[in-house]
Amino acid sequence: MALLTSPRRRGPRARLLLAALLVAPSACAPGAGGDPLDAARLAELPWDSVVERARGSRVVWRMWRGDPAINAYVDGWVAPRLRDRFDITLVAVEGRGPELVNQLVVEREAGARGGSDLVWINGETFHNLRSEDLLQGPWAGTLPQAAGVDSASAIVARDFEQDPAGFESPWGRVQFALIYDPERTPDPPTTVAALTDWIRSHPGRFTHDQSFTGMTFLKTVMYALGGGVAPLQGGFRESDYQRASGALFAWLDSVTPHFWRGGSAYPGDVAALHRLFANGEVDFSMSHNQNEAATKARQGILPPNARALVLRDGTIANAHYLGIPFNAPNPAGAMVVADFLLSPEAQFQKARPDVWGDGPVLAPERLPAPWPERFRALESDPRAVPGDTLRAYAVPEVAPGYHERLAEEWRRRVRGAGG
Amino acid sequence: MALTRSAGRRPATWRRGRRVRGVAAAALVALPVGVGVVYMTLGALGMVGPGSAGNGASPARIARVLGERAVWEGTLWSLWVAAASTALATLGAAAVAVAYRGTRPLDRAGRTLSLLPLAVPHLAAAVGALLVLGQSGLLARVALRLGWIAGPAQMPALVLDPWGWGLILALTWKELPFLALVASSVLATHGTALEETARGLGAGPWAVLLRVTWPTLWRGMLPAAVAVFTFVAGSYEAAALLAPSDPLALPLLTWERHTDAALTRRGDAYVLGLLAVALAALAVAAHEWLAARGRRSGA
Repeated sequence: MALLTSPRRRGPRARLLLAALLVAPSACAPGAGGDPLDAARLAELPWDSVVERARGSRVVWRMWRGDPAINAYVDGWVAPRLRDRFDITLVAVEGRGPELVNQLVVEREAGARGGSDLVWINGETFHNLRSEDLLQGPWAGTLPQAAGVDSASAIVARDFEQDPAGFESPWGRVQFALIYDPERTPDPPTTVAALTDWIRSHPGRFTHDQSFTGMTFLKTVMYALGGGVAPLQGGFRESDYQRASGALFAWLDSVTPHFWRGGSAYPGDVAALHRLFANGEVDFSMSHNQNEAATKARQGILPPNARALVLRDGTIANAHYLGIPFNAPNPAGAMVVADFLLSPEAQFQKARPDVWGDGPVLAPERLPAPWPERFRALESDPRAVPGDTLRAYAVPEVAPGYHERLAEEWRRRVRGAGG
Repeated sequence: MALTRSAGRRPATWRRGRRVRGVAAAALVALPVGVGVVYMTLGALGMVGPGSAGNGASPARIARVLGERAVWEGTLWSLWVAAASTALATLGAAAVAVAYRGTRPLDRAGRTLSLLPLAVPHLAAAVGALLVLGQSGLLARVALRLGWIAGPAQMPALVLDPWGWGLILALTWKELPFLALVASSVLATHGTALEETARGLGAGPWAVLLRVTWPTLWRGMLPAAVAVFTFVAGSYEAAALLAPSDPLALPLLTWERHTDAALTRRGDAYVLGLLAVALAALAVAAHEWLAARGRRSGA
């Protein structure tokens, strides 16, 4: 409750007035119920009473809305079931991680009631939200469906090495993969060393994007050149970063001249990289989601034969989560939605390659029949990377500080930005 | 008579009230900008917004951001694109206005066709430029079919290119109709009588064009050209699709900082936002200076 009533920093009245002017539209959003109990208090109640409080309410979910497949799953499959079973109206609105952190900071400055009940987060966004006390919790561990979560997996149980501590509920799991077309590249490289040779022997046919996916690729290479993920685990240390990034930037110095356009330009985001790959300007794309090759091929965005491959040096796997903002007006509704999204049927639907292809966070052995068999059957898709392969080469994320420093230094050294 | 007197000579209190109402209306329009500038100033000083230290005002962030080479490279690049797009669009608009100023069906068709891009959103124009000018775009595919190039890499880079040619062409195409509309209006209201007078005094076609038509057009189009320049310098969506990664255009750099993984760097966007506002203010000031100079030389 303290979070709801006492903003962490109070500024002069003039500042609040200005901030109030800026956030007035979201503060006045219709449907803001204003439950007097926050998620931590609700977590102490019997689940039935949480569901009763949520019944008939409206849940605003701030999330990335850039993928038609994800939007179709949320709007066309999740929302109708929430309406039928809980009389909950789900409204999904645009808001990526960094933007929603900024939005919540300004809302707190204004003392405004929140414009969203649920947010889709992970990694440095969770780190920023927690460091700024912008999330309610703990609540996630008390969801009934949390019993099926694969809590033994370090990928699911730790978010970029951070303990979720009940402030976010796992929703999906993905693994980084390169994407290639077997017709163009019948014998693709499967290690960083082989990729290095391939880049040198195919000048202008490889690049990465400037955004989160590209930085994850660079982190993958950084792990491979620095002896794996182990030396970087245990929190951010500048000395370890310097050692690992030194090897990475030496590698980049040696291969960048062979990149697309000699490394003088980089696609802005992974969508732009997909475009270059689909149009034959480069021979590889990449994705955080190992199943994106299949889903994007189905959408006609990637070539029909596009396949994913994981590098044998290890590729980064991570999970994504759902959080409840400090000023969410309807935390009970948000908890019911998060619980439904953890259910085997919602996780299975989401994992289907013809729907979204987002990996489940449930442990099949903890689920009742027929779910274990159904989840295992998903892995038999001939277009998907076999589950055993994914698990064998999965490496976890490290502390967000590595991502922040790497992105900043890459911009400064390779692109010239950042001073 | 009473009606004529009251229209011609309003009471002093009414005139004063009209001025006050005018200023109030202008203030209302400027209010969102003013609030934004004040908030950005507080953010630039580290007093509000993401990553604010909560330690009171400090100019450290402003000094650090303005000390970055990337900021000034991005600013100069944005100004170059804005200047080139505005110049090309202004010249094109003047040409359209002069070439299709008559009342024949061909003139009307020319004017109508030149205005069509007005209906196209900037983002759609940028996507179109990408599909046409990209190294795997329509032009490249035609060149490939004709045997002029053997693959995408041999197509000259017109998008994500260091000079921003693709972006300049897209923005020129998008802004030309707006300026052509203004140019046609200027010629229709001010040009004809002056041109006829010049011809009557024996001036030839080129002399009329250079000494009468162009100066008339230039003065009339100047406010619109300044508006186009400031808009293009600060526009994001076309640059996001077509601008290179190095240097990074000022609007893209601003957004990149606003969404930086490190919370402490997000406040940099406030400094960059203020820089963009300052550039727009300078453009308006330059317009006022040029307009005043034009009035003096005209008088």
